Amino acid sequence: MLIVKDLSIERLDKKIFENINLSLSPGNITILKGKNGSGKTTLLKAILNLLEPSFGSIYWKGKLLKKNLYDFYNHVTYIGDTTSSLRKLTIKDNINIWKKFFISNINDAQIEIALKTLKLDNYLNKKVGTLSFGETKKLEFLRLIMENKKVWILDEPLSNLDEDSIGLMKQTFEDHCSKEGSIIFSSHQNPGIYVTEEINL
Amino acid sequence: MNFLNKIIFFYYREYKLNMSGIQDILTNIIFFFISIFIFIFSIGPDKETISLIGVGILWTLLLLSSTLSLRKFYQDDFENGNLLIIHLNGFSFGFISILKTFSHFLFVQVPFLLSIPIACILLNIANDKLFYLFASFSIGSLILSCLGSISSSMNLMNQRNFLLGSVIVMIFSVPVIIFSVGIINMEESFNSLINILFGILLIVFAINPWASGLCLKLSLENS
Repeated sequence: MLIVKDLSIERLDKKIFENINLSLSPGNITILKGKNGSGKTTLLKAILNLLEPSFGSIYWKGKLLKKNLYDFYNHVTYIGDTTSSLRKLTIKDNINIWKKFFISNINDAQIEIALKTLKLDNYLNKKVGTLSFGETKKLEFLRLIMENKKVWILDEPLSNLDEDSIGLMKQTFEDHCSKEGSIIFSSHQNPGIYVTEEINL
Repeated sequence: MNFLNKIIFFYYREYKLNMSGIQDILTNIIFFFISIFIFIFSIGPDKETISLIGVGILWTLLLLSSTLSLRKFYQDDFENGNLLIIHLNGFSFGFISILKTFSHFLFVQVPFLLSIPIACILLNIANDKLFYLFASFSIGSLILSCLGSISSSMNLMNQRNFLLGSVIVMIFSVPVIIFSVGIINMEESFNSLINILFGILLIVFAINPWASGLCLKLSLENS
């Protein structure tokens, strides 16, 4: 589905990484490993077509990504290193906005189950700005589930999560892959998740 | 149909966000009225003088008050990653800038539009000039929103000096002020001046998605 071929990126004449190859098929999990500043986020941005690669190319469903961009965007969702939920609004408001904006086919009962699993069901009327960092991170995972897209691109999804939440994430990853979904995520630590491909930067 | 729904729900999101921060809108309006009072107190009780320069004061304060809200134009959505999420949901950066410009017009400029009659009473502006003020401000404020979109998107790459964006808006709004105030003071040339103002609107409206879209892309690239 997604193929990255000999990708190199230079910024301000500084080589960030070179000759990266990866291939992501349905049901696969790819991990990008490396220290801080090794270029994990840069690679994810290049895959999302936000950065122009210096060399190499990216293909989506056999076509150059640039020529198939909106089809790719229809199948991809992203979690960055920031919290995308709106801090001034309550969890309930955020869910309502996502549900409508993403035209999600996830129904209320499924959202309720996800909220219970993520242990966020008691905070529905709480403003996101008052939640802890770990809880807002869990809310991001709820957005992933609600967007219901095939390819998940996640930047450091496991940072600042406790062991229980990491366990929950592993379960979510497995569920997603069992439904023909695929995941690329970056991590500077060993997450203990079964991955099909490991890229060291 | 899905695309149209997404646009509707984009504005639902903007509405929710603006209503949760309604104090920001109210602060802008309060700033606008307090500035009018300061002008009145500094000029003195001479009704004729106030009436003569009232329209100029009104337009200057509308410009200053609307630049107050420019900081929030893209900043929050940029910092919390929502710009990228909206982009990944099928909206190009240029299209996002058009949507945000209309949102700024609706939630920031329209409250000013509604408060113009009260400001006219305070500044002793004749009732028959109200129509011309409404007409010029409706077009002029959209121009200011377009300029605000361009300067705010440029400012995303410049985290140190926010005032630079306001300065850019002020410089480019000089023609808007000239023709808008001209419409009210030279009612006989209403048609020609409103056409010029409309022409300026079309120019900035065409440049806005291109310039703002590019700045949004570059700032996400370099974030």
